Amino acid sequence: MSSIDIKVHHVTRVEGHGNIVVNATDGVLEEVRWEVPESPRLFEAMLRGRHYSDVQHIASRICGICSIAHSTASLHASEAALGVKVSEQTRRLRKLLFNAEVLESHVLHACCLAAPDFLGAPSVIPLVNTHKDVVVKVMSLKRLAYKLADLLAGRKTHPISCIVGGFSMLPDLEKLEMIRDALIASLADYEALVDLFKSLAGEIPSFERETEYIALKDPNEYAFISGDIASSDTATVPIDQYRSVTNEFCVPHSTAKYTKNVRDAYQVGALARFNINHEQLHPKAKDAAVELGLKAPCYNPYMITIAQVVEAVHATEDSILLIDKLLETGVTKEPETAEIQAGCGVGAVEAPRGILFHDYTYGGDGILTEANCVIPTNQNHNNIQHDMEALVPTILDRPQEEIRLMLEMLVRAYDPCISCSTHMLQVRFK
Amino acid sequence: MKPKVAFFDFTCCEGCQLDTLNIEGQDLVDLVSAIDIVEFREVHTGKADHYDIAFVEGSITRESGIERVKDIRARSDMLIALGACAHIGGINCLKNHLEMDEALEIVYGEDAKYYDTIPARPVSAVVPVDFAVPGCPINTAELLRVVKDILLGKTPSLPNYPVCVECKMAGNVCVFERGGTCLGPVIRGGCNAVCVTAGRHCWGCRGLVDDPNLDSQKDVLKEYGLTVDQVVEKFKIYNTYSEVAQ
Amino acid sequence: MREHSVLIVDDEPIVRESIRDWLTEAGYQVTTAETGEEALELVSARDFSVLVVDLRLPGSTGIAVLEAVKAERPWIRTIVITAYPSAETAQEAKRLGAVDYLLKPFAPDDLERLINNTLASIPPEATVIGKAEAPVAVAAPAEAIEVKETFVVDREGLRRLFDGLASSMETIGAVERQGRFVFDRVKQFDDLRLDHDVTVQSPTRYLFPARETMLTMELGATPKTTPTIEATPQVLFGVHPYDLHAIELLDEVFMTKHADPNYISRRQNTVLVGLDCLKPAPKAFAPSMGTDRSDTGFDLLLTDLGGRFMVRVGSQRGADLLAQHTTTTAPTDQDIAMQHSLLDEARAAYGVSLQAPRERLPKLLDDHYDDEYWEERSETCLSCGSCIMVCPTCFCFDVVDEVALDLKTGERIRKWDGCMLTDFAVVAGGENFRHDKASRFRHRIFRKGKYVLERYGMVGCVGCGRCATACLPDIASPAEAFNAIAEKAKIETARRLIGVAAPEQDLYTPKPAQLLRVEELAANEKVFEFAFEDGSTLGHGPGQFVEVSIPGIGEAPISISSSPTRGDTFQLAVRNVGNVTRAMHNLEAGAVVGIRGPFGNGFPIDELEWKDLVLVGGGIGLFPLRSLIQYVLDRRDRFGEVTILCGSRSPADRMFEAELAEWSKLDGIQFLETVDRGDESWNGHVGVITTLIPGLELSPAKTTSVVVGPPIMYRFVIGELKKKGLADEQIVLSLERRMKCGVGKCGHCQINGVYVCQEGPVFTLAELRNLREAV
Repeated sequence: MSSIDIKVHHVTRVEGHGNIVVNATDGVLEEVRWEVPESPRLFEAMLRGRHYSDVQHIASRICGICSIAHSTASLHASEAALGVKVSEQTRRLRKLLFNAEVLESHVLHACCLAAPDFLGAPSVIPLVNTHKDVVVKVMSLKRLAYKLADLLAGRKTHPISCIVGGFSMLPDLEKLEMIRDALIASLADYEALVDLFKSLAGEIPSFERETEYIALKDPNEYAFISGDIASSDTATVPIDQYRSVTNEFCVPHSTAKYTKNVRDAYQVGALARFNINHEQLHPKAKDAAVELGLKAPCYNPYMITIAQVVEAVHATEDSILLIDKLLETGVTKEPETAEIQAGCGVGAVEAPRGILFHDYTYGGDGILTEANCVIPTNQNHNNIQHDMEALVPTILDRPQEEIRLMLEMLVRAYDPCISCSTHMLQVRFK
Repeated sequence: MKPKVAFFDFTCCEGCQLDTLNIEGQDLVDLVSAIDIVEFREVHTGKADHYDIAFVEGSITRESGIERVKDIRARSDMLIALGACAHIGGINCLKNHLEMDEALEIVYGEDAKYYDTIPARPVSAVVPVDFAVPGCPINTAELLRVVKDILLGKTPSLPNYPVCVECKMAGNVCVFERGGTCLGPVIRGGCNAVCVTAGRHCWGCRGLVDDPNLDSQKDVLKEYGLTVDQVVEKFKIYNTYSEVAQ
Repeated sequence: MREHSVLIVDDEPIVRESIRDWLTEAGYQVTTAETGEEALELVSARDFSVLVVDLRLPGSTGIAVLEAVKAERPWIRTIVITAYPSAETAQEAKRLGAVDYLLKPFAPDDLERLINNTLASIPPEATVIGKAEAPVAVAAPAEAIEVKETFVVDREGLRRLFDGLASSMETIGAVERQGRFVFDRVKQFDDLRLDHDVTVQSPTRYLFPARETMLTMELGATPKTTPTIEATPQVLFGVHPYDLHAIELLDEVFMTKHADPNYISRRQNTVLVGLDCLKPAPKAFAPSMGTDRSDTGFDLLLTDLGGRFMVRVGSQRGADLLAQHTTTTAPTDQDIAMQHSLLDEARAAYGVSLQAPRERLPKLLDDHYDDEYWEERSETCLSCGSCIMVCPTCFCFDVVDEVALDLKTGERIRKWDGCMLTDFAVVAGGENFRHDKASRFRHRIFRKGKYVLERYGMVGCVGCGRCATACLPDIASPAEAFNAIAEKAKIETARRLIGVAAPEQDLYTPKPAQLLRVEELAANEKVFEFAFEDGSTLGHGPGQFVEVSIPGIGEAPISISSSPTRGDTFQLAVRNVGNVTRAMHNLEAGAVVGIRGPFGNGFPIDELEWKDLVLVGGGIGLFPLRSLIQYVLDRRDRFGEVTILCGSRSPADRMFEAELAEWSKLDGIQFLETVDRGDESWNGHVGVITTLIPGLELSPAKTTSVVVGPPIMYRFVIGELKKKGLADEQIVLSLERRMKCGVGKCGHCQINGVYVCQEGPVFTLAELRNLREAV
C-alpha cells in the first residue's frame, strides 16, 4: 500500500484555526494528530482587575458566535460570586436570548458549515445559485434569530444590555409579538430543513464510538442555562464542582490540556445533550428527531449536526412559549443592583457547542481577582483526537482525498469553536 | 469585473466575519453577486494567489502572525482592517499591561513555557492598511457602505464626529445625565450609538476621533465621579494601543 | 374643478342664499334644499360633488342626510355646518365620512376654500409618501386668525381632544424617560406629561427629522431621481413657547425663498398644541430672548391652571379641532387672573438672564470678533456636537447618497450636521476652513446672536437651555457667551468713560488755511488754492473731500480738485450754490478759512493701477475727477491706456480750458470732449457725453471706468459702459450727499446702512447694486 500524507492546514468551515495531520506508510498508521495552533487569547489574565460592570462586556469577546453563551455564563458566575439574585423576568428574558443564539448557531453550522459537504460544495456560497430557496430560508431563519437578539440585547454579537442583575433595557412588547408570529411561521421553514437533511441521510458517514457524554440537566426543562452537570456514566454533580468533572491536566512532552472524567475522553454538545435530555424536548422537536432517524443513545459524532437541527426546532418552540408568557405578564423595569459582596462563583451554560463554565472570584469592591473559563471545544479536543484515532484505521484503504474529507467532516461535525480556546492544544499520538 | 475579495482572521473572536455572513438576507445574496469571494476560511474551502481586497480581522499577537499578514499584504491591492482588533488592537491589548510571562503564567501555570505571545497590536502596526471598518463588532451597514463605495469608485470615508452626534440623533438621554459615565464624546461615531440606546454606555470600541480633546474628556469623567485610575481603566479596554501611542 | 356641483342644505334662507350666491360667483353649480327630505330626493335623483349640510334641520336631520348619502353616493364629499357644535355630533359626522365640520358663523370664502381643497385633495387620513406630482393632503390650511379666542377646558375635556386627535393623526408629546423628559409618540393621554420643564431635544425634530430621504434614485447610464415627500398627519402636543418661536424661525428658513417641499409637507400636516411653561428649566433664559410667551405660531395654546386648562385658539384649524373634539366653557375672571399670576411667577422663576438687551447682541459680538474669549472658552470643547444636536434653532444638514448593493437604486438622504463638528467646513481638497475649536465656537455664538437675526429677522437662540444641559464641559450656553462679551464691553465702555481712551480733541476744530490764489472758471465756478498756515500738507488722496469752514457762516463739504502729487498746496474748485460757497466766492487771496479733513475713501488707486482707464467727467464732475486725472498723468507709467471724456452743457460752461487743451495734446492720452449744445465758436463734438462712448475701442477685461457727474448722467453713461462689456466691479462712481460732520456721526449722508463720508463717496457699481437707495 502507498503512503498517506495528509496535512490540512487551517481546516475550513470551522470557527478558529485547527490542523489535521495523518501519516501512514504501507498501511501502518504512524500518526494521527489534531492540532490547534490558535494563539492564546489570555482572557483569564485580562479579566483580572476589572470591575464587575465591565466583566461581561470583555468575556463576551471570547467568542463571536457564542458571545451570548459567554455573556450568560459570565453573568451567572458574577452573580453567584457577588451574591446577586435575579428575577423570574430576567430568567425568562435570558432564556429567550439564549434561544436566539442556539437558533442562529445551529442553523449556521448545520446549513452553512456542515451541509455543503453533504451537497458536494466547497461552501454555502455556490449554494446561493444551486439551492437558492434553501439558502434564502436559511438566511431568513438566521435573520429572525438576530432580530430577536437585537430586540432583547441591542445586538446579537456581543450583546449590550445584559448586566449583573438583569437587563439595562426591556423589549418592546409589540415588536416581541411580531417576532413570535414570525417564529411560528418559521416552523414551516424548519420542516423544509428537516426534509432536506432527511434526504441527505445517505451522505452522513456511519461511524460509531461510544464515549462519555456530559451536559447540564434541569428537572424542569431541556437545560441550556440552568441545572447540574449530568453524565451518561456518573452521578449528577453541582456546577460549582465542575473541576472534578473537567479534570484539566497536562500530558508530559506535549502542550496538551486534556479533560477527562471517567473514560479517556468525553463529548459535549448537541448530541450529548440529546442523549441525556431527549425526553424533555418539545413535541415538534421530538417529531423532527424521529424524522431524521436520531435515537438516543447515539454514538455517531457525525450526527451532532442532526441533533443541532432538532435543537433548533426545540428552541423555536421554547421561544414561542417564553414570549407568550412575557406577553401575558408584561415586563417591568427593575432597579439596578445595589448590594454586592466578595466571593467566588461558577456560571455554567450549554453553549451551542457544549457545556461552558466561567468561574470568578471577586473582592468586596466588585473588582475581579481571578477567573477560569472551560470552553466546550476544549472539552471536545480530546474526544476528537480519540475519534480520529478510531476512525482512520478503518478507512486507510480509501483514496487520500476521501480520508482527508472524512476527517475534515469529523472535525466540522463537532462544530468546534476554536478561538474560544483560551488554551492552546497540541496533541501527539505515537 | 467583480473584485476578488478574501477574508482573513488572526487573533480574534471571529464575530466580525460572522456578522458579515449574517447581513440581511437579500443583501448577502447581492453582496455575493457584487464581489467574488475567493477565500473565506470560516465558510469556504478555497484559496487564491492574489486579491483585489483583503479584509483582515484580528490583531497580531504572535511572530507567526507577523509573517502571515505581511504575506497577505504583498498579495493584496487593498487591505482593509475589519473590526476593533485589526483596527486599533481591540480587547486583545488588555493583556499588554501585563508582562507577557506573567500573563502566560496566570493562564497556563507551569506549562507557560510552551506558549509564546507578543504584545497585541493592530494590523497597521505591522503593514500599511488602506482602510478600516471599526467597531467590536463591526456595524455591517458600514461594511456594506465601504464595499459599495469601492465598487462605485468613491473613496470610502468614516465619520469624524463622535458618538454623541448619533446618540442625539437617536433621541437618547445622555449617559452622564442618568448617573453614568461614557467615552462617547471622543470616540468615533458610525455605530448609531447602539450601546447607549440599549441602556449602557460607550466603551470606545471604534477608536478615537481624529483630534480628540482627551484632556477635556478626562476632566469631564473626573467631574462625574471617576478617579484618575478609573479614567485610565476606562480607556484601557479598547484604546490601550492608542493611549499608549499618545 | 369649477364646474363641480354643490348641494346646500340649510333651513335658514339667508344662509342658503348667501352661500349659493358666493359659490355661484366662484364658478360652482349650486343647488339648494330647505329640508332633509328635499335633500334626499335631490341626491337620489342626481349626483353632486359636494354636499354642505346643516345638522339641525326640520324633519330629517343632517345626520340622517349624511347616512343616506353615505349609503347611496359615498363619493360625495360632505361638509357639515352648524351653530351648535358638540363632540358627539362631530364624531358622528366624522364616522359618516364628513370631510369637515364648520362652525357658524363662518366666512363664505372659508367655505369656498375648503371646498376647493377638498376637491383637490386625497383623503386626509392616508399616509402619503408620494411623488412631487401628487398634492399632499391636508384638511384645511392652518391660517392664523384675527381674534384669538380663549376658552377653558377641564382635564377630561382635554383628554377628549387628545383622543379625538389621536384617531386621525399621530400624537407626539412629552413623556418621562430615564429621569428626563423627551418628546415621543404618546399612545395614551395618561402617559402624556404636561408638567415638563424642558425636553432633552426639541419637538422641532418632528418637523426637521434627524434623517430623511429627499430623493429616490435609479443609477446607471440614464439615471432618474424622484422627490420623496412624506406627510403623516401628526400633532405635537405640549410645545413650550420657546419651541414655538423656534418653529417660526424654521418656517422662515424653510418656507420662504426656495421653499423646501419636505419641510412644508410635514409642517402643513402638523397640528401645534402649545403649552405655557410654568416650570422653567434651571439653565433656560427664554424671557431674555423674548420667547417665554407666544402670541402666534400655534393652533391652540394651553395654560395649566391646575386640573383645568386655558385654551387659546391661534388658527382656524385649531378652532375647528377644538370644536370638533371637545366642549369648552368661557373663562371666568378668576381663571384669567390665575393665568396671569402663573405666567408672571414662571417668568420670575428663570435663573439665567442676559445682562445686555438682545438687540445689542449683533453689535457687541461684532466689536469682539477678535477677542481672546473665544480661544479661552473653547479650550475644553470636545467638538462632540451635543449643543447643536439638541438646539431647536439649528438646522444645518449634510446630504449623502446611499445605494443598494446591486448599485441600481439608491436614495439621497439629508441628516443633521453642524458647525461645531470638526469636519463641517472641510472641502474636497482637504482644506478645513474652520479647523480650530475657537473659530467653530465663535461661529456658533455669532449665529445665535447675530447672523440669524440679520438674515431672517428673528432671534437665533430661544433660550431653552438645552445646550447648556447637554454640554459636558459646560461651555455651550449662549447666555454665558453673550454675558461675557457684554461684561467686556461694559469694562471697555467704563474705560472710555473714565477717559483712558484718547479723544480726538480737534475732531471738530478746523485748521487754518490761507487762500493763495483764486481763479474764475465759469459764471458760477471758481478754483481756490490753499496752503496750511503751519506749512503741513493736507495728505489727501484723489477723490477725497474736505470740510471748509467760514466761521459764522458755516461749514460745507468740498471735493479736492488737485492731486497730492502737485506740491504742498491743494486746490478746491467750487460752485456758488449756498451760503458757505457764496462766502468763499467773496474771498480774496490772503484770506484764511478753516479746513477739516481729508475725509472719504477716495478713488481706489490700487485697483486702477495697471488698468486701461476711461475717465468720464460731466460738468462739475470734473472737479473731483481732476485730482485723479492729474495723479494719473503724474504717474503715467503705472497705468495702461488712458481715455478722458469731458462734457459740458455749452462751450461757455467749459472749465479748466487751458488744462483741457494740455491734455488733448498729450501723447498716450485719448482726450475727447463734447458739449451738450454747441455755438458758432465751437468746432468740436456736440452731444451728450454718452455719445462719446460707443465709438471707443476698449479691451473690456482690463478696463476700469471712473465716472463723476450729475446723477442723470450716471444712468446713461453706465448703460453705455455696460454695453461695452464692463462688469459692475469695473465702473467706479463718486456720489454726492450732504456730508456735514465728515466723521460718520451726524447721519445726514446715509445711503441705506452706509455713511457716504466713511464708506464713500467713491463706490463701485457692484457695491451700489446692494444699496437700494443709491440707484
